[in-house]
Amino acid sequence: MRSSLLRPTTPRALLRSSPKPRQLLPLSSRLPPPPPPQPCPARSHSSTTTTSSVNETEISHFSSLASSWWDPHGPSRPLHLMNPHRHDFIRSCLSSSPSSPPCSSLTYLDVGCGGGIFAESAARLPTTTSVTGIDASPVILEVAKSHAKRDPSLAQKLTYINCPVESLTLPPVDIVTCFEVIEHVDYPSQFLSELTKFVKPGGWVIMSTIARTWTSWVTTNLVAEDILGMVPKGTHDWNKYLHEYELREWFQKDRTENGEKKWGEARVMGVVFVPGCGWKEVRGSEKIGNYFFGVQRLA
Amino acid sequence: MENLLRRRAAFVCHSCVRSARQQSWRNYSSVPPRPDIYDVVCVGGGPAGLSLLTALRANPNTSHLRVALVEAQDLSRIRSWSLPPDKFSNRCSSLTPSSVKFLEQIGAWEHMARDRVQPYQEMQVWDGVSGARIEFDWAGAAPNTGTTIAYMTENLNLTSGLLKRLEELGGVSTFDNARVEDITYGEETEELDLREWPVIQLSGGKQLSARLLVGADGANSPVRSFANIEAKGWDYNRHGVVATVELEGEGWGGEFTKIAYQRFLPTGPVAMLPMPGNYSTLVWSTTPSNAAFLKSLSPKDFTAMVNAAFRLSTVDLEYMHTQTSGQDEEYSWRMEHTPVDHRAVPQAVTAVQEGTIASFPLKLRHADTYVAERVALVGDAAHTVHPLAGQGLNQGQGDVQSLAKTIEYAVTHGQDIGVGMSLESYVSERYAANHVLLGVCDKLHKLYSFGSGPLVPLRSFGLSAVNALGPLKTFVMNQAAGNGIKVF
Repeated sequence: MRSSLLRPTTPRALLRSSPKPRQLLPLSSRLPPPPPPQPCPARSHSSTTTTSSVNETEISHFSSLASSWWDPHGPSRPLHLMNPHRHDFIRSCLSSSPSSPPCSSLTYLDVGCGGGIFAESAARLPTTTSVTGIDASPVILEVAKSHAKRDPSLAQKLTYINCPVESLTLPPVDIVTCFEVIEHVDYPSQFLSELTKFVKPGGWVIMSTIARTWTSWVTTNLVAEDILGMVPKGTHDWNKYLHEYELREWFQKDRTENGEKKWGEARVMGVVFVPGCGWKEVRGSEKIGNYFFGVQRLA
Repeated sequence: MENLLRRRAAFVCHSCVRSARQQSWRNYSSVPPRPDIYDVVCVGGGPAGLSLLTALRANPNTSHLRVALVEAQDLSRIRSWSLPPDKFSNRCSSLTPSSVKFLEQIGAWEHMARDRVQPYQEMQVWDGVSGARIEFDWAGAAPNTGTTIAYMTENLNLTSGLLKRLEELGGVSTFDNARVEDITYGEETEELDLREWPVIQLSGGKQLSARLLVGADGANSPVRSFANIEAKGWDYNRHGVVATVELEGEGWGGEFTKIAYQRFLPTGPVAMLPMPGNYSTLVWSTTPSNAAFLKSLSPKDFTAMVNAAFRLSTVDLEYMHTQTSGQDEEYSWRMEHTPVDHRAVPQAVTAVQEGTIASFPLKLRHADTYVAERVALVGDAAHTVHPLAGQGLNQGQGDVQSLAKTIEYAVTHGQDIGVGMSLESYVSERYAANHVLLGVCDKLHKLYSFGSGPLVPLRSFGLSAVNALGPLKTFVMNQAAGNGIKVF
């Protein structure tokens, strides 16, 4: 896959020559019917069902990173540095709408929580009531659980479940988060319908991912993985990257049974990684690289 | 699994979560062998430690943190400290406007005895060998930056004010009259892994477990030793002699234009810093043997030596150090033959307050870093500077302001305030800035310790040149006032 992308090419040509066009659009018509989700034996530790949105190769890739997940100078450093910006973005989303849930007692579901960088931080906030972190990799989740033991303030608020989102049973929450995950998922449309089920009306879905552009290929695949080795090889599959307009369109088309709008206007914030400085918010950069995406559930 | 389900029940009811959480905190504190768990344990109740806790308690974003203070002295005596208006403690500091602004922000400034704080508006600095002079006064140099260069304050006035503010804020578990016997690491149990959490063992058996252990415990910081952070530097082989002195008047500028004086002698700088009324505080850096000699003199002869230090030639002064007594007469006789512009030196000292003459060794130390996992150093625990620029306490206030900001950012973004990653910005903000100041003060000390030789005319040219160059002078003054251009 990578080899075909190594040829110098413009973004447009790149998109055309891409052997596997992104399947998100139009989600309803182009996607092969996803395998029907099977109910997960509730909250079982070991249940990685074969029918899920997650890709086994991706799981094993991230499992191999387990030991370095919490090393602040390891390959997950960019994620650690990004984490505070996630909270800033969530706050800006919540405050943008008067119908947002009250900020004093928020519940979270973090889908694809990995080692728990975001889940732990959300649970630590005094304004948080509970956080549920789910991840399909049992190895990573063990890392998350054992790391959470290092902070006595987490035990009462943070719960980890090894389970794909399709099999999760959980009452709806105020905020469903899904950071740097959707670009690793095989059927994003199915994945989105699953995870959005868990948002209360008034609550928010908050995501972050990478736009599928020439720039993002150079920065995330070529520079970060191949040249600088900042991120382990195989972390990113450029073909799975999503444009913010693709996500926006999905949420616009997701309607209630009466055809009414289910989601509010999406909010987007582009961020750029500056080595040595960390992540910087750059307006408009959502079109070319990493970005946050937030959308409020209306009904 | 069962445990998991029980925990999952958490989000069923918010109040259940809260009560369960409180219960678990209570459990930690009531089971004797288990240490009490705190978010911040600050060892050292000096200006830096007290300011940090005050800043954390005063800020709504950090006021929920569980904080503890460990101090060897009896803090109630410091809190109720008071002296009659004509007596001043001999340990004073010059607070820069930015330090004062910070103290105002955290609500401590109004708790200080303000009639005992003396702002000054001018500085007179000159070379004791060549006489080259630099005059600093805000009126001419920087009209837009206000008129006060710095505020002279007794250290006890500051700590007492901070303690009063902390009492008003409440919520600090205070362990005073307590010695730190040992610092170890926590243990791993089935539910918790506290192997990276420092546990402070106090005299009397109390144990405090710290998410973040702050070393505000002075130049010989036990917290720094625990964290295996080395402090490099050297001793100056100089002592600072301090005393509270009474002058013949309230200064050449009157009540509202007070002047700070500093003369560079080959043995070290001697400074006369204004206190309210006719009082001033003396800081005389000199050799350990000279310091011992000065302390042995009668009040009358000591007074004569101080007056001589600002007026007589270095040769005369050196000679007077060899007399066993009679400096008073010697000074009067020599003054008859020494032409002095009286308005260019501090008014004559008429008396020294009993029991205020003391001395302490001067050194330069800089810790290799200010943070380790779950440890942060502030103030003298992180750096010790030559007092010639009066920056030691202000550097500590700068550290505290930065650390409090770092902690606030971490708290509001859900970071664990103890981990190295959360503390990175504190080090990057303070280390280089402190290092520059330490270096500048050190070089100044060395430059002026030559009594003769090629450096004397050169440095005099330097001072005169600085004096002639307005913008440069403004820059130097801004640095002294702590509101200078940020180099880093």
